[in-house]
Amino acid sequence: MSTLKDTKPAVRAAGAANTRAARPAGRKSRLTRQQSRAGWLFLAPALLHSTFFLAVPALAAIFLSFTNYDFSGAWQMIGTENYVELFQDTRFQAAFRNTILYTLAVVPLSMGLALIIALGLNQKIRGLGFFRTVYYLPVVTATVAVASVWLWIYHPGAGLANAVGSLFGLTRSEWLNDPATALPALIAVGIWQGLGAKMIVYLAALQGVSKELLEAANLDGANRWQVFRNVIWPALGPAHYFVLITAIVQTFQVFDLVFVMTKGGPVNSTTVLTFDIYNNAFEGLRLGYASAETVIMLILVAAFIYLGGRSQRKNQDG
Amino acid sequence: MARRRAGFLALAVAGTLALGACGSGGTSTAPASNPAEVTGTLRVLVPSYPASNEGKAELEKVVASFKAKYPQVTVEPDFATFDTLNQKISTSIAGGQGYDVLVTGIGWVPPFAAKNVFEDLSTFGATAESLGESTNPALVPASEYKGKVYAVPLIAGPKPLALRKSLFEKAGLDPSKPPTTMADIKTAAEKLTVKDGAGNITQAGFDFWAAPGGYRQDFVALLGSLGKPLYNTNGEAEFAGSEGVETLEWMKSMVNNVQKYGAQNAAKSPLVNTGEAAMGFTGGYIDCSDKGVGPAVCDDLVYFNLEDKEGSMFTGGQLASVGKSSKLKAAAWDFIQELSKPEAEAGIATLNFAVPAGKDAADSAVVKSNPASTFVAANLADAKFEGGAANWLDLRGTFGTSLDDALLGKKSAEETLKALEQQSK
Repeated sequence: MSTLKDTKPAVRAAGAANTRAARPAGRKSRLTRQQSRAGWLFLAPALLHSTFFLAVPALAAIFLSFTNYDFSGAWQMIGTENYVELFQDTRFQAAFRNTILYTLAVVPLSMGLALIIALGLNQKIRGLGFFRTVYYLPVVTATVAVASVWLWIYHPGAGLANAVGSLFGLTRSEWLNDPATALPALIAVGIWQGLGAKMIVYLAALQGVSKELLEAANLDGANRWQVFRNVIWPALGPAHYFVLITAIVQTFQVFDLVFVMTKGGPVNSTTVLTFDIYNNAFEGLRLGYASAETVIMLILVAAFIYLGGRSQRKNQDG
Repeated sequence: MARRRAGFLALAVAGTLALGACGSGGTSTAPASNPAEVTGTLRVLVPSYPASNEGKAELEKVVASFKAKYPQVTVEPDFATFDTLNQKISTSIAGGQGYDVLVTGIGWVPPFAAKNVFEDLSTFGATAESLGESTNPALVPASEYKGKVYAVPLIAGPKPLALRKSLFEKAGLDPSKPPTTMADIKTAAEKLTVKDGAGNITQAGFDFWAAPGGYRQDFVALLGSLGKPLYNTNGEAEFAGSEGVETLEWMKSMVNNVQKYGAQNAAKSPLVNTGEAAMGFTGGYIDCSDKGVGPAVCDDLVYFNLEDKEGSMFTGGQLASVGKSSKLKAAAWDFIQELSKPEAEAGIATLNFAVPAGKDAADSAVVKSNPASTFVAANLADAKFEGGAANWLDLRGTFGTSLDDALLGKKSAEETLKALEQQSK
């Protein structure tokens, strides 16, 4: 080890001396320049896309959040007025609260359920392909179609949910018409809809768990829980992280479900940030105000991702 | 370096905005006074026509008639829906591609006129008086903002009241004397409400035909029957006075009493049409054929309007405007003239289950085709509209949600309406 440490600077120094001798300081070799050009060339499409469709709109949103732009052409810089107004806006407060509740419920529950299903589908059972397809089906179904079916399920009079509930003696619920049950009902749909994508990632990760480690654990007499806790769970680390980040982003982006099923009601009980941003921008025509809300949402998403990532790292370290 | 970067950033953003702000309507060459010589593309936003073969064929008739006068102008229709209309309009303005002709709804005129999106139609000699010569005079106020005309009404979509004769008779009520005041409606509705052993309403005594957040139009109709509009002609709120409070308190006394809050059937059709309610708000069109509700149901329905202090019927509708940024304003105005011809209005009314806005529409075949349209066309004088404030589009959603707050007892009627009045300023 010490030899390596000692020789590296010497090699670097020798190389640098040779390079200096061959060409003036600061000039790159032809090969390096060619590689650099090729790199930029390959990077260009993605870079252009990111610049024009991500960076510029993001910067424009930040800029617009300090204006009163309302599509009519004339606009003024108004400082932090939009932000001050937002924090006094009861609809925004409801959207902020509901988005956090929705995320806190959907992300862990859907991750947990997806992992359980993936563990089940990782066994050698009959009809495996059928079950995998069934669980993945909600992912490839249009949300509007999904929402329409769930609207029928939750219909207080003719819906399946109350019909099934009545078999167990449960009283009739108003589901989406009741401020107390509307958000939980929407959360249930969100969990169901997101299961398939997460399940596929977990399934792929489970199939990558080292067979040697599993065999060794079994030979050592580990029970199923011990195998899961000490072999499978740590091996799923990267999958957990990927699923967590994408789940957070997806749940923050929930819009179509709300738009089709509840329009944010009743009494703002299901309004979420994306829906409120849409309303402020395209219904109220207040793009500056909506941009301020977008900036706040971006900060919130970043905070959630940071906290999620940190908790994952802690788990890995632990 | 940092300053240079900041400067570049500000320039880029300002450039983006400036590009959007420098909008123009349809492309054209130099304006020509002779329509036959005018060239360019006329962009028309027409939610009136669904993007189906039927809708496209109906619009094609209007375009053909327009092209007879403007042979060198290309008409580019955008078959938007009302759900995406604001989005289309706002992004078109921001993108510098404003529409030349815009069909919007009642209540949209003041906000877009105030934002300079619509052209003042006095440019083409249109006044409230001249509009009243061809359009039902009851609809003319919906096209005005601060005394100027910004739109031409095309169709009206009223919401009258209806009752089921058989259910009235079953409850010992006389269907030939419909209750028209709020007090009478409540008394009748309570008698007509049927509940099961568990207390669930199985037949609503009165149907608001409203989903959660959707009681706004009913409020407008009820407030109108007490003689108050939502806003006066100056755009000032009129709904927060004693009449507004009385209306909202009445609505609260009905919700979860004669009908469950937000109750609708799976088809979201008026419950009085299906017999799930004995009385309630309904649409201005009914299909009495066997493909629709059937002749027996139509014979069982009686249409009437609210009339506490004056006749009142909530009325929505569609109006056509010329885009302020249009470069083909004269052609756009002529296109609207084509849209507002009786045969074109009849076509739009058929496609939208509404009645034409024309003055003589009561005699048209589309109106006479069913009893609901016949009733509403004959009673358009009772029309009451929503909107009237420049920030109505921003307030509209909040309005519905706030009414729900009062209906569910989370806030008092007075508190709710005062808060909305504040937001109207």
